[in-house]
Amino acid sequence: MGKLQDIYKVISNEKLCEKFTRLRIDAKPIVEKSRPGQFIHIRINDGLEPFFRRPFSIYRAKKSLEILYEVVGSGTGALAAKKKGDTLDVLGPLGTPFGMPPKGIKQIVMVAGGVGVAPFLFLSDTLKKKDYELILLYGGRTKGHIFNIDEFKKNGCGVFQATDDGSVGVKGRVSKLFPKIDPCPETTFIYTCGPRPMMASVQDFARKHKLRARGSCEEVMACALGACLGCSIKTTQGFKTVCGDGPVFDLHELIFEKIT
Amino acid sequence: MNISVRIGKAKFQNPVTVASGTFGHSEKYYHLREVKKLGALTPKTVTLKAREGNPPPRIAETPSGMLNAIGIENPGADEFIKTKLPALKKIGVPLIVSILGRTDEEFKMLAEKFNSVSGVSVLELNLSCPNLGKKVLVAQDPEATSRVVGAVKKVSKYPVVAKLSPNVTDIVPIAKAAEAAGADGLSLVNTFAGMLIDIKTREAVLGNVTGGVSGPAIRPMAVHMVYKTAKEVKIPIIAMGGIMTAEDALQYIIAGATMVAVGTANFINPRAPADVLDGIKAYMRKNKIGDIREIIGSLQTL
Ligand SMILES: Cc1cc2nc3c(=O)[nH]c(=O)nc-3n(C[C@H](O)[C@H](O)[C@H](O)COP(=O)(O)OP(=O)(O)OC[C@H]3O[C@@H](n4cnc5c(N)ncnc54)[C@H](O)[C@@H]3O)c2cc1C
Ligand SMILES: Cc1cc2nc3c(=O)[nH]c(=O)nc-3n(C[C@H](O)[C@H](O)[C@H](O)COP(=O)(O)O)c2cc1C
Ligand code: FES
Repeated sequence: MGKLQDIYKVISNEKLCEKFTRLRIDAKPIVEKSRPGQFIHIRINDGLEPFFRRPFSIYRAKKSLEILYEVVGSGTGALAAKKKGDTLDVLGPLGTPFGMPPKGIKQIVMVAGGVGVAPFLFLSDTLKKKDYELILLYGGRTKGHIFNIDEFKKNGCGVFQATDDGSVGVKGRVSKLFPKIDPCPETTFIYTCGPRPMMASVQDFARKHKLRARGSCEEVMACALGACLGCSIKTTQGFKTVCGDGPVFDLHELIFEKIT
Repeated sequence: MNISVRIGKAKFQNPVTVASGTFGHSEKYYHLREVKKLGALTPKTVTLKAREGNPPPRIAETPSGMLNAIGIENPGADEFIKTKLPALKKIGVPLIVSILGRTDEEFKMLAEKFNSVSGVSVLELNLSCPNLGKKVLVAQDPEATSRVVGAVKKVSKYPVVAKLSPNVTDIVPIAKAAEAAGADGLSLVNTFAGMLIDIKTREAVLGNVTGGVSGPAIRPMAVHMVYKTAKEVKIPIIAMGGIMTAEDALQYIIAGATMVAVGTANFINPRAPADVLDGIKAYMRKNKIGDIREIIGSLQTL
């Protein structure tokens, strides 16, 4: 197998909106192997701070490798300071991808909350060539928390948005947009990624309508290679590692009762 | 240049291994070519029966290190022997198999199980896991340490290494108890007991409430324990605790360690064990040292 770890150059690192920054790196070997839903694990600085690598979904894998991230702490803060030409130590691509929808599916619904939208552009890049109806239901807190969704529209996605304050799209949670879903068990398939309460509401909806669905999860990671068993989550099938068994799981296997 | 070392009758090409629980399925972990260069591999501790491990979250970042409470998640000895051991053996690097029993009897049964398989070089007894909810660890009690080591020594056909806990007032009496009971070597150290609290929720960050701290944060204390112990025992020491580079590893060797294990660093830099090995060789070349034994325990004192 090819090299999983290497040093790559930053091409650009630009703010797309108040909340999100897009990092592009020159990582052809990763681009070539990546599939939607997979992630990369970045050592942000050479020293001991931050200590762990940080995982990010692959936002796009075309000419360069792209991630979309939100600054939430010291690691993402340090990442935001990277400039064109800086180098990053990257592991990837890692994890189980979204996978293709099963046979007979006509409508594909992507339900995203906040930066959980990141893996879906890549997914729509690969699904647009097929004959699906693509829908993105996208929720955020307020205006600057929802970034330009033109790229999704270019991929032929119907885009529906919700914000907590109604500054973009409908006012309220992303669940307000569920009526856009055709609740047909044979022909509709859901992919979701976002905060746990949102994923829990998608799971409820999918259960009620007997829809098949996959969800991408987060857990703090150390190795991201299945070695430390630190990123395990409880599923209906017992403990599973988010980095290897996931991050994409059958949505119905996930257990959301304890909101952490 | 001679960098080969011994633990009991087991011989290793070089002194670098990985710490138990920090190294996964090696094929995935990194280039087989790099793994093959190591002196030994130490897979995650196995118990008699499968253990599903602790509730999440199981890990957290700490200043220059990490806190973990994995809870010895493992498939159990039989399943390990069936499904994991064959691939590990195929790598061709000697294996240090880490075992943990809840009782002396379980330790003995585990030792017997590994007697009947091939491809094992050394048994490491995890006497120091702080994550199983017990009040006292075997490695916090010289008598219990002596009992378990003695019981395993009686049945095992392999050299036996006792892995000790740093969570004691003085590690030397425990180390001596293990030596007196027949241990062929010591592994120093396991993680330091610790915890993190989320002040917003006033809850412990880990699902298990407490855990063990590892990584560079613990290195100075661990080097000190190796130094203190090496002066008092004759058996070889496998040292670990925050080794990220060859410089870190050399501190332990100078303090008296015969082998070094790379643990948490694997999660940050999967090439760390290979880098450590290359760096030790470079140091020896630069300082015209022909045999690693010239540096083991070579601390200069005035
Ligand atoms: C598979 C996966 C894909 C992800 N994809 C994206 C993405 O595309 N865009 C994005 O903005 N974020 C993504 N994240 C989350 C991102 O990894 C965290 O926001 C980041 O690690 C926070 O680091 P920090 O130092 O800035 O924050 P910290 O101050 O360390 O922590 C802030 C928050 O991030 C969480 N966090 C910290 N370290 C980790 C870690 N090693 N792994 C997971 N969570 C952590 C903490 O629990 C805390 O809630 C993803 C996480 C996972 C597991
Ligand atoms: C995630 C994790 C899992 C571990 N699991 C085990 C284990 O199963 N058995 C064991 O003896 N030690 C285990 N340890 C302890 C390490 O082997 C080592 O003794 C300790 O982490 C100190 O070395 P380090 O600082 O280089 O990691 C574990 C450590 C970590 C971080
Ligand atoms: S992060 Fe180590 S097993 Fe998933």
